[in-house]
Amino acid sequence: MLFDATADVMLLIDDKGLIIRANPATKTLLGFAEEEICGLEVEALIPEKYRSHHRHYLDAFYKEPVKRTMDSGRALVILCRNGKELTVKIGLSPINAGERLYILVTLYVADQRHQSEDALKISEERLRLAKQAADLGVFDFDSKCKVVDWDERMRELWGAESCDTITLEQFVTAIHPEDRKTRQSALDYAMDPNSTGEYNVEYRVINPANGVERWVAAVGRMHFEDGNATRLIGVARDITEHKTLEKKLQEQRAETETLFAQQVATQTVSAIAHELNQPLAAISAYSEVALHALQNDVIDTVKLKQALEGCVKQAQRAGNSLHELLAFLQKGNLVTERLNLNHIVNESLNIAKSYGYGEFQPILQLEQNLPAVLGNRVQVQKILVNLLRNGVEAMREAGVPTAAITITVRTNTEMNMAHVTVQDSGPGLDAETAKRVFEPFFTTKPSGMGMGLAISRALAEANNGQLWLEPDTKAGATFHFTLPFAL
Amino acid sequence: MSTANPTVFIIDDDPAIRDSLTLMIAQEDISVMAFDSAEAFLDACQPECLGCAIVDIRMQGMDGLQLQEQLAKREILLPIIFLTGHGDIPMSVRAIKAGAVDFLTKPVTREKLISSVRSAIREAEKNFTESIHHHDALSHLADLTSRERDVMLLAIQGYPNKEIARRLGISHRTVEIHKSKIMHKTGAINLLDLARIAHDGGLSS
Repeated sequence: MLFDATADVMLLIDDKGLIIRANPATKTLLGFAEEEICGLEVEALIPEKYRSHHRHYLDAFYKEPVKRTMDSGRALVILCRNGKELTVKIGLSPINAGERLYILVTLYVADQRHQSEDALKISEERLRLAKQAADLGVFDFDSKCKVVDWDERMRELWGAESCDTITLEQFVTAIHPEDRKTRQSALDYAMDPNSTGEYNVEYRVINPANGVERWVAAVGRMHFEDGNATRLIGVARDITEHKTLEKKLQEQRAETETLFAQQVATQTVSAIAHELNQPLAAISAYSEVALHALQNDVIDTVKLKQALEGCVKQAQRAGNSLHELLAFLQKGNLVTERLNLNHIVNESLNIAKSYGYGEFQPILQLEQNLPAVLGNRVQVQKILVNLLRNGVEAMREAGVPTAAITITVRTNTEMNMAHVTVQDSGPGLDAETAKRVFEPFFTTKPSGMGMGLAISRALAEANNGQLWLEPDTKAGATFHFTLPFAL
Repeated sequence: MSTANPTVFIIDDDPAIRDSLTLMIAQEDISVMAFDSAEAFLDACQPECLGCAIVDIRMQGMDGLQLQEQLAKREILLPIIFLTGHGDIPMSVRAIKAGAVDFLTKPVTREKLISSVRSAIREAEKNFTESIHHHDALSHLADLTSRERDVMLLAIQGYPNKEIARRLGISHRTVEIHKSKIMHKTGAINLLDLARIAHDGGLSS
């Protein structure tokens, strides 16, 4: 029966205002059991201060007993059994049973529902404002059904129609093709039950309507049920401006670094040139003096001796200057330590990325239990970073669509050395370039100085290893270098 | 320092360069003196020095271009041959604009250096003669009265006596007297000679 089942309080009162029936909700909401409340005057439920007002209201109803719904009804304060006051809305339905008039009173507990509704509204509003302030879009990916629930901000970033749910396929379509792999591997990681479930990735989204490209950072957490990934909830943020600024800074840094390197090279070469040119100029002049002294009928032996002695002295001076200069440039002993080459490879990749030489897909083939090598950390990193930079720039020059660099780390049993291979997916080097690639100041790049590979080879040798180019590679330039194991 | 014979002054802070170039130039029977700094040369140098200077452009202390400036300030008209370690174009342009006769890169061949030295000495001798003329002309022109100068300037521009008289508001006869005095005081043999003297003395434009 509806009377018993409804969640609202229902009371049946007679024409004298006595409660004759009460439903179970009365107990739940007001604290009165049916037997307690039956026989009470309805006014017992009204706080003292409102009673006279209530009396008028009831009298008016008896005079004109028509149904009054809760909506049209006014808010009323009811006294609970424990003395607490509760704001309710009241609905009155007259029931005519023969001569007598009964009234069915429905108390709609406005307070409780309002309170929770208000709380929900406030919380939603708070969330909305916070999202707005942080420029966050929210997504909820159901990994079973492969659908994504998303909010307005997400749709805005994706340039999508207002549709609360889309398929994963639709979602991925707007992601930059070059970044899909990165996003997928971040998702795979989050879906792995052995992982923390954390999802953290940056990728580009292309608005299908206007073609505008935006950088998005997505952070979320995967939820699991019985070891199976179920849903990924997270937020996405537009980081385009940040990325642009970052890129500009990287470019500036790279530019400054190049300028500085060029300056160092120029200064070094000038110093060497000056140190050598002075004695050369003197030797040249002395030699001509000697020649002239020989041309006379009577050889001027005094002049001849003086000039030749000058030549010897100046040639010695030139040699000494060179030795001093080299000693100055190589001062200090090389500090070596035990290195985990696999770690160094990862560090170098991060450095190469942070320098912003260009985008590429690194493919790692590491030997997990490789023994420690002996070398100078910074120099070994420099070798790798130089090779990566070289590969990236060569591929960009050649316009390779999918720039990838494979780095292999293994043990070369023949040489008993750690062996690193760096292979790009570019067109490789022609025979002439391959022959000269390690020469100082040899470059094929318009702005390059041509010192990168020469320095890398010198560094590899300084660390008791070797660096060489694989001859005749069909697919991509392949450089190898070795380092000794730590004993 | 003697002014009778042209002398080559070598100014270089590298002793081997000074020594070898001194030997080389002496072999040509040209008088030569070497200095290890610009300052040392300026101390010894006189306005009447005849010859040329071979100057290393980069030196400790005062460098070659600063030395060139100092010489110009002191009105020492010594032709300068600059020596440089490497072909520094902006520097060479500056030096040439400031009147350097040559700019040679080390190591320099005997042939180049000696030919450059010889042409520098020729220029020095020409400058020397010109400066003597200038000096003479100045002393000749110094005796002229201001009226005589006015007459001379008009005369060397080719104006006839009548026109000179009209312009200066004096009589034809007075012009004739001025002219005869001018020729006497300057020692000019004719009008053309007078024009040369006026030019040497910096009076005509």
